[in-house]
Amino acid sequence: MPMAQLLEDVLQALNAGLLVGALYGLMCVGLGLIFGVMRVINFAQGDFMMCGMYAAFYLFTALGVQAAFGPYGGPYIAAILAGPPLFLFAWAVHRLLLSRVTGMRVTALEGEGHYAQLLLTLGIALILQNGGLFVLGSVPVSIRTPLSSSAFEIGPLLEDGYLTIFVNKARAIAALVSVAVAIGLLLFINRTRLGKTLRAAADNPQAAIYMGIDVERAHRVAFALGVGITAIAGGLLASSYPFTPYVGLEYVIVMYAGVVLGGMGSIGGAFWGGMVIGLIQQLSTLVLPTQLQNTAIFVVFLLIVLLRPQGFFGRSVERT
Amino acid sequence: MLEIEDLHAGYGGPTVLKGLSIRVEAGEFVSIVGPNGAGKTTLFKTISGILSPTAGRIRFDGRDLLAVRPSERPHLGIAHVPEGRQVFPSLSVMDNLEMGASTAAGRRDWVRNRRRILDLFPILGERSGQPAGTLSGGQQQMVAIARGLASSPRLLMLDEPSMGLAPAISEQIFERLAEIHRDGIAILLVEQRVAEALASADRGYVLEGGRIALEGDYEVLSGDDRVRQAYLGL
Ligand SMILES: Nc1ncnc2c1ncn2[C@@H]1O[C@H](COP(=O)(O)OP(=O)(O)OP(=O)(O)O)[C@@H](O)[C@H]1O
Ligand SMILES: [Mg+2]
Repeated sequence: MPMAQLLEDVLQALNAGLLVGALYGLMCVGLGLIFGVMRVINFAQGDFMMCGMYAAFYLFTALGVQAAFGPYGGPYIAAILAGPPLFLFAWAVHRLLLSRVTGMRVTALEGEGHYAQLLLTLGIALILQNGGLFVLGSVPVSIRTPLSSSAFEIGPLLEDGYLTIFVNKARAIAALVSVAVAIGLLLFINRTRLGKTLRAAADNPQAAIYMGIDVERAHRVAFALGVGITAIAGGLLASSYPFTPYVGLEYVIVMYAGVVLGGMGSIGGAFWGGMVIGLIQQLSTLVLPTQLQNTAIFVVFLLIVLLRPQGFFGRSVERT
Repeated sequence: MLEIEDLHAGYGGPTVLKGLSIRVEAGEFVSIVGPNGAGKTTLFKTISGILSPTAGRIRFDGRDLLAVRPSERPHLGIAHVPEGRQVFPSLSVMDNLEMGASTAAGRRDWVRNRRRILDLFPILGERSGQPAGTLSGGQQQMVAIARGLASSPRLLMLDEPSMGLAPAISEQIFERLAEIHRDGIAILLVEQRVAEALASADRGYVLEGGRIALEGDYEVLSGDDRVRQAYLGL
């Protein structure tokens, strides 16, 4: 019954796309927060994520999370715990480096300011990659959990045994945690005073200063939070995908594609953008060889930039 | 309360403010009028610290304002209602007000200020949940003023609040400013609608080419032939 087989393949790819898309969504939310508030193109976001993956890995293996929470809950606890250290690291990076080339002082410089930002974040990316290679080595690692080799079975959906979907347990739980973190961030941004302050600084930094808001601090919070969130996404990914210090390169493309698709600067849009990228990536495996997965993403990315630069989900954010 | 002496400022090109001096006493209503490009907005940006002067002094309550970081200045009691309103478009009306209340005094007085604001601008209560960017120009101006009031200022600076508004709406805005003034808040108003601006004010300045060309109360200014011709169309 080849028809049922095809349907099963499609549903299986859809399922894989949704699960990985939920993680991409969270990654994109982190990057989208940074871009939305600071208007900085952060090339190092993928490498910060790589740091988050290793942080989760070492928290799990060497620093006792596995011992304390076991191999089932441990990977997710470790992923969440990877957030705070990366938050602090990014806070320091902004304090010491990024704040020199971003913010109000630089907005006056227009183009020149952006070149400095591009060079700096690219430099940080290279340092993290090569520093990571030096310190951590190039052998791929991953967080091992027995859950990644077991699946929920849905089906058979048809009689005579056809159409069974296997939902990998490790990925399913990671996806749920990811959605929960994204919702938590959305609530923070929309409900708390600090969250609203970040949005005000994004909407109109000059007027924010007129309100007595410390815009540089708002940028620092947004940057640290954005890196922390992406790090958690990385940590969640680390239990299903082996990684090396070069992993950031691959995912920074995913993140930019998702954020651009989501309409540059809308948090909710960034999540759906990442989700769509996950779906495209997995569905493309139905027609393309696996090695070309990321090519599909890249093509989509270019198409979006050419056809709908304001994105599909977000409002177009023009600044006054 | 606010004393500005011999202020020079610009944007890197030719100097825009060329030795300007003004003062505002506590509780006073002062208007500044002048032609386009005279430097009125530049003056306000310099007071708020978005722009650094090349020379001169700005004092607030006797304190050197230029030594205070821009984002700290509102905390001293200065609220700036900028040209073109500049509300936070994606934030709701109430969240805009809450951002205005970022100062310590604004947080302390939030309940009382909010009541007073909704008393002055009842429409903002009706729109409180709506994104400020979706309001009409007049309503956005009300948000901008209300946002300033939410910081519990002692000096409220307004840069052309009537710009682009229908006469009836701008009249309403001027009435509200008079009420705010009666609450004891000092007002520094920049306006193109010269007659209204001078009529409501205790004193006025005429700013031309980056300098104060004339200073005085309504009687003095409206008695001046140049003002009558150039600004009042008399
Ligand atoms: N961002 C800027 N960069 C460079 N020059 C500027 C800038 N803003 C204003 N200027 C120049 O400074 C001068 C004063 O401008 P300013 O905006 O202070 O005038 P204004 O009195 O507020 O005028 P208007 O009534 O049109 O608002 C003008 O010649 C203007 O071209
Ligand atoms: Mg102006």
